[in-house]
Amino acid sequence: MANIWTIAVHELRRLFRSCSMLINLFLLPILLIFLLGSALSSVMGGGKDQTIESFRVGIVDAGNPAERSQLIGNFLKSPQVAEIITAETADSREAAVSGVRSGQYGYAVIVPAGFDKDMVTGKEAKLEYILGKNRTDNMIAGTVFDNFLGSINYKQAAAMTLGPQAISAMTESGQGNPAAVLGKLNDGAPAYTASQYYAAAMLLMFLLLCGQMVITSLYSEKDNHTLFRIGSMPVKGRELFIGKMLGIGLVSVLQCASIIVATRFLFGVYWGNRPGLLMLVCLLMIFASLTLSVIISMFVRSAALARAVLSGLTVVMTFMSGGMAPLPDAWVNTGGAFSINHWGMKGILRMMLESPWAQISGSIGMLSLICLVLGSMAFFSYRKVGYHA
Amino acid sequence: MALAQLSDVVKRYDSKLTVDHVNLSIREGEILGLLGPNGAGKSTTISMLCGLLKMDGGSIVIDGISVAQQPLEAKKRIGLVPQDLALYEDLTAWENAAFFGKLYGLRGGLLKERVQEALEFTGLADRAKDKPATFSGGMKRRLNIVCAIMHRPKLIIMDEPTVGIDPQSRNHILESVKALNKLGSTVIYTSHYMEEVEAICDRVAIMDKGHIIACGTEKELRERVAHEEKIVIKAGNIAPELIRELKQHPRVTRVEGESDTVEMYLPSSQSELQDILFIFAKHGGVIQTLQIEEPDLETLFLSLTGRTLRD
Repeated sequence: MANIWTIAVHELRRLFRSCSMLINLFLLPILLIFLLGSALSSVMGGGKDQTIESFRVGIVDAGNPAERSQLIGNFLKSPQVAEIITAETADSREAAVSGVRSGQYGYAVIVPAGFDKDMVTGKEAKLEYILGKNRTDNMIAGTVFDNFLGSINYKQAAAMTLGPQAISAMTESGQGNPAAVLGKLNDGAPAYTASQYYAAAMLLMFLLLCGQMVITSLYSEKDNHTLFRIGSMPVKGRELFIGKMLGIGLVSVLQCASIIVATRFLFGVYWGNRPGLLMLVCLLMIFASLTLSVIISMFVRSAALARAVLSGLTVVMTFMSGGMAPLPDAWVNTGGAFSINHWGMKGILRMMLESPWAQISGSIGMLSLICLVLGSMAFFSYRKVGYHA
Repeated sequence: MALAQLSDVVKRYDSKLTVDHVNLSIREGEILGLLGPNGAGKSTTISMLCGLLKMDGGSIVIDGISVAQQPLEAKKRIGLVPQDLALYEDLTAWENAAFFGKLYGLRGGLLKERVQEALEFTGLADRAKDKPATFSGGMKRRLNIVCAIMHRPKLIIMDEPTVGIDPQSRNHILESVKALNKLGSTVIYTSHYMEEVEAICDRVAIMDKGHIIACGTEKELRERVAHEEKIVIKAGNIAPELIRELKQHPRVTRVEGESDTVEMYLPSSQSELQDILFIFAKHGGVIQTLQIEEPDLETLFLSLTGRTLRD
């Protein structure tokens, strides 16, 4: 035990001597979180509820006045839509574009000639959108008209395959079951902000990168020939290994704490109300990173290649989990599920949203399972390959 | 009394025998020189002695403790000075020594005392707070020794500790080895520099191709080749025909010719000197100096293997 502690303290001393290492460990993550959080805050939202205000939408009906779409007209007159969208008729496409540019309209929709007729003959319903300057207005109008089209196409497809009675059956069965329920997915906490999202993503990425320290340390002992000397001393191989892991693990815990505290006080990042679980997720990530780097070090000959492999894996996993830019849910939940970050990210975001334990436990369970597998692989690789000068 | 005993030690790499049934006894209080050319098996033998490599056969016992069965106990009695510098460049000399001292179990006041003592012993006390990156090659070699002697080991193993350093530092290290021995440590000193081994060692074991081919005091070993003499002739105009005729001489066992020097070995120089001078005169060789040398360890190695130590 004394040897393990001696080696761990030795690792800490060497790591804290390196200026570049300190910058990478403690400054770079904060800087990245600040940059990404600031730059992408408009994409993510500000974490506060927004009130939707009514805005004007220019409607261009390309057909003859006699053939103007009644479907669109009726849809726009419905009270729920009229509450949000003030429809104004524009004479032509050019007028709509000009109106959007000048700010007269927040959004514009071009209805193709014969829209209603196409619907009756079974052709697919399509509309052309002209986006305005306000991102929120674009999102709202896009959602409203997409839903309208989706609903029409769905009913049309049902009528064509099952007959006209299918539409009335769908309408009856759908009564009392609203398509969407207004509310929050979280348990009363506000939605997460860009800073929160990227703080979580960067924390996980940098915890995964802590394996770089393991690789550097393991290979430098060989390159310095100090491993040869230590091998001739009364030190067990596993004591050297555990001591190194312990020292680097402690630095990673410090790094993790510094990211959480700094983002909390500098950028107001709220990490949720479960500090114990947050720490558990971070420890599991550190463990996963350490074991992953051990496995790589056992099978790769040079430190540079080992570092490149770990960096590559970290970047790919961070990207797949949506840690670099928010990806479509379908991607994140399929490909991303194979990354370690995915489960850590899911767990931490749920904690930020103050979700109940039931919604967090799955991520932590999966992360624990990954750690168990990686730990076993690292153990057997070490037994098989060993750590020699 | 033997402090370390190697019995029938074998090490194979794939099917090649690197150390071939080596038997060697290291007496308590002696400096044993392990001499041999590169690839003779010296470093492999040292690695097994230190518990760094597993033996494929035989046994090694240090101070009554089997290296194979109780490696940690055996290692406590050893101080290894590796051939390559084994130091942390980012730590100071003191921190390097203290780290390795702790791994030998030294703590607190005793650790400080021993680190200071070892640094003073090697003349590095005034550079204790400096990092090895600022040291000369010789100073780094001395720090390499510091890290192996703080725990006052019974057996100090020095694997070519003077490689690549200036003569002054080499002398300092050789003096340190003698001083350590006087303080009570037994030393195994490996080298392929015959002069170093002759200068400091009580006994010499010569290794070649994984075997111990000779072992004894310098005097004992010299006696084995007392029947052979070495003649070194510096001359001008050394023609290839001259070298060829010297090689064909029935009493000359070996000839080595360089641009202006010819070295040859023969049982007795007195009886053959006339012949040799005649051959030189016949081929126009202009003799500048002629030296008849006593047989040395190099001569012995040559006599036993047909090669020089630095081949």
